[in-house]
Amino acid sequence: MSPARSVPSAILRMLRTDRWALGGVVAIVLLGVVAAAANLLTAIEGQDPFTYHNEALDHATGRPAGTLGGVSGAHWFGVEPLTGRDVFAIVAFGARTSFLIGLAATLVSVVLGVLLGASAGYLGGWYDRAVVWTADVFLGFPYLVFMIALGAVVPASVPRPLLLVVVIGFFGWPSIARIVRSQTLTLKKRNFVSAARALGAGPWHVFRVELLPNLWAPIIIVATLSIPGKIGLEAALSFLGVGMPPPTPSWGRSISGAIDWVRTDPMLLIFPGLALFLATWGFNVFGDGLRDALDPRTEVRR
Amino acid sequence: MRAVSSGPLAGARPSSRHVRRIATAVTAVVGVAALSACGANEQTPSGASQSDAAPGGTLNILTDSASNPFDPAKSSGLAITSLALVHRRLTSWHIAEGQAAKVVPDLATDTGKATDDGKTWTFTLKDGLKYSDGTPIVTADIKWGVERSYAAAFSSGLSYHKPLLVGGADYKGPFDGKELDSIETPDTKTIVFHLVRSYGDWTWLASTPAFAPVPKGKGAEPTYGEHPVASGPYQVAEYQKGVKVRLTRNPNWDKKTDEVRKGLPDEVDFQLSQDTTTVSQRLVADSGADQSAFGASFVSPAQLAQLQSDSSAKQRLVTSKSGALAYLALNTKKGPLANVKVRQAFQYAVDKSAFQVASAGSAQLAGEVATTLITPGITGREQYDQYQTKPTGDPDKAKQLLADAGFPNGIDNLDFVVGKTNSGPDKAQALQASLAKAGIKVNIRTLDSDTYDSEVTGNDAKYDLVLGSWQPDFPSANGNIQPLFGTTEIGNGGYNISRYSNPDVDSLIEKAESTVDPTEAGKIWAQADKKIMQDSPVVPLIYTRNSFLHGSKVTGFSIADFPSYPNYLVLGVNK
Repeated sequence: MSPARSVPSAILRMLRTDRWALGGVVAIVLLGVVAAAANLLTAIEGQDPFTYHNEALDHATGRPAGTLGGVSGAHWFGVEPLTGRDVFAIVAFGARTSFLIGLAATLVSVVLGVLLGASAGYLGGWYDRAVVWTADVFLGFPYLVFMIALGAVVPASVPRPLLLVVVIGFFGWPSIARIVRSQTLTLKKRNFVSAARALGAGPWHVFRVELLPNLWAPIIIVATLSIPGKIGLEAALSFLGVGMPPPTPSWGRSISGAIDWVRTDPMLLIFPGLALFLATWGFNVFGDGLRDALDPRTEVRR
Repeated sequence: MRAVSSGPLAGARPSSRHVRRIATAVTAVVGVAALSACGANEQTPSGASQSDAAPGGTLNILTDSASNPFDPAKSSGLAITSLALVHRRLTSWHIAEGQAAKVVPDLATDTGKATDDGKTWTFTLKDGLKYSDGTPIVTADIKWGVERSYAAAFSSGLSYHKPLLVGGADYKGPFDGKELDSIETPDTKTIVFHLVRSYGDWTWLASTPAFAPVPKGKGAEPTYGEHPVASGPYQVAEYQKGVKVRLTRNPNWDKKTDEVRKGLPDEVDFQLSQDTTTVSQRLVADSGADQSAFGASFVSPAQLAQLQSDSSAKQRLVTSKSGALAYLALNTKKGPLANVKVRQAFQYAVDKSAFQVASAGSAQLAGEVATTLITPGITGREQYDQYQTKPTGDPDKAKQLLADAGFPNGIDNLDFVVGKTNSGPDKAQALQASLAKAGIKVNIRTLDSDTYDSEVTGNDAKYDLVLGSWQPDFPSANGNIQPLFGTTEIGNGGYNISRYSNPDVDSLIEKAESTVDPTEAGKIWAQADKKIMQDSPVVPLIYTRNSFLHGSKVTGFSIADFPSYPNYLVLGVNK
């Protein structure tokens, strides 16, 4: 085990050498802080994402009063037309929605994907074939259509964030399972795994003690790279009106609403659009950097 | 709503009830001050839209609805919108700006003769009337058309006449061989209706879609509306659900017999399933075939804001002076809403000014705050406000009322149904925010207009709140009150969406309907209006102004005082 190759130290080294990845981390941390401290930041601003401020609107048209969509000391990112709701508060709380759903869905995908992938690779046989076949089916599944349909039929009594996490997370497991399975296939032929089995270790023990430590690198890479997709998926569903229900702020819904106003109030599209871009870009370049730093082909911990 | 909604509808979707129009929003463009400056309505005849075009050309109607069947029995279309291009009725409307709507003869020679104190009505057909297939129109066909509206499969249209005809309460339609004996046709030109009680507005009911002729024996199939036998200036040449409907001239329509339809374009094309925002953008751009097009849906608030800086498009924007009552319906049969104190709390909780801004950007553009059920311009309307408060509402007073009613911690998880069209969801959010201030938490459920209709008018009401909109189907307070608050209108496709039932109100409705003198009837309607509001089954929001955009080559495009929709029958296209 080379200390320089441990996951945290590899990340640190990557951040020193890979400026793009560093930029990605900065973006993620920035948005993460905004999401975590949304209450505090909007309290400093003196706003919240729900209150209507008709006084901040132009009385003839309902557009934000002032330039740049009503950007001012009181409303840092301006206000929404027709409602006067504070755009900064919406973007900040929208970050919380995006991060929570994106990360929670990724967690669901990772847990499912690792368990199914590692067990398929390790146990083999008909079980392996069934998992691979199922993963292929789900990879080719028109999941967006399925989610839209599901969003329309699931009763309103089911909490929407939970539904989004479960559904988005569920459709993410096959790509993780495939990578974990192939890693497991190579690992289980290694001597240390054979030795453990020869000593009578059961599958769960082998998975936990022998396989998992060596799977972390690929898992972290593939999970990080799948976060932007999940954030984008939540935004897409909200954009289409089957994601987060109003009034919970969501970037996708804000972007959807802003499209009608793009000619008269482009800032309304720019702020949530930029936030969504930053989040997906940040996770993407960070994941790329991680992959370069932790090339799993050269890495085996024992 | 569409909704909701069918507002848009009115024109383009005769099959939807006006409620939906309402649900969605409506937007008005012009404030009082601005009216004279830019309301196309107010333009003097200098505008191209005022002088008639020569006959010819193709008129394009852009609508967001996916279907637009021309089935009179299933239609709730106004007498001046799309259904009337294909089907004539016994009577029709003469509407003009600055004048009260007047009932005028259409297929009949006059507007009907009332005898027996308004319980018997007799109409005579004009000479030489023919269908598109060349056969003569006879009164037996009018009778068949009315009978057909009783059949369960075709019962979704305007139904004011159904309980009024003797025997109508139990009649199940003509397809099992039974006739409705209270409609007599002594000869091919004469038709006599026998009513269960005096009914002064019957002459208006004869202008509703069910009084269009359907050749006796035809129309048994559910798709009749896609290939109907036409009596108006146009016939359906092509019908593609979700795509288009093409109307071409009916060679057997004789302009000399028709005082309400100009029949100017050679062809009228409906483009179905159009996105309303895209429609507005196309009409603003005003290029190619869109120059001879108009949007059947209301112009969205975002588009209105944009139009303020586009002088060419502003010229082609037409806004009504008043319009449908937008209201929040409270399901009086469900949970805490069954308690009148809780319902009254809603009157104070709602922020009507936020609703105005969400509807159209400003109070002037959206229409005035409503406090009564009878809309402005209707005979007998009395302005009053039983729940006086600021336009922004009074959350503290609402909380107090809720606490008195036994809900000191507010109410959670109310199901709030709203139609997707006409920025219904945005308006619903404005209401959601103001209700939240009073401790009432609602979950918005957005439905497309067909689902919305079946949900709110079905027998099994699961919702707590509905955003509705209603414009009378004919210009009488009757049309404001009875369809929304009569006990007979609960479920089964009726629009009593607050499921409100009060025997006192029912008897007032019956009394007013049988009063033949309009002024006397108006007083009783005003009394019913106040009585209903005491029980607070709905929160009146605004009297919604509607705005429409049309292309530069469309002529005759204007909105009269009633209804708040353009008159499709007089539109023409400049070369």
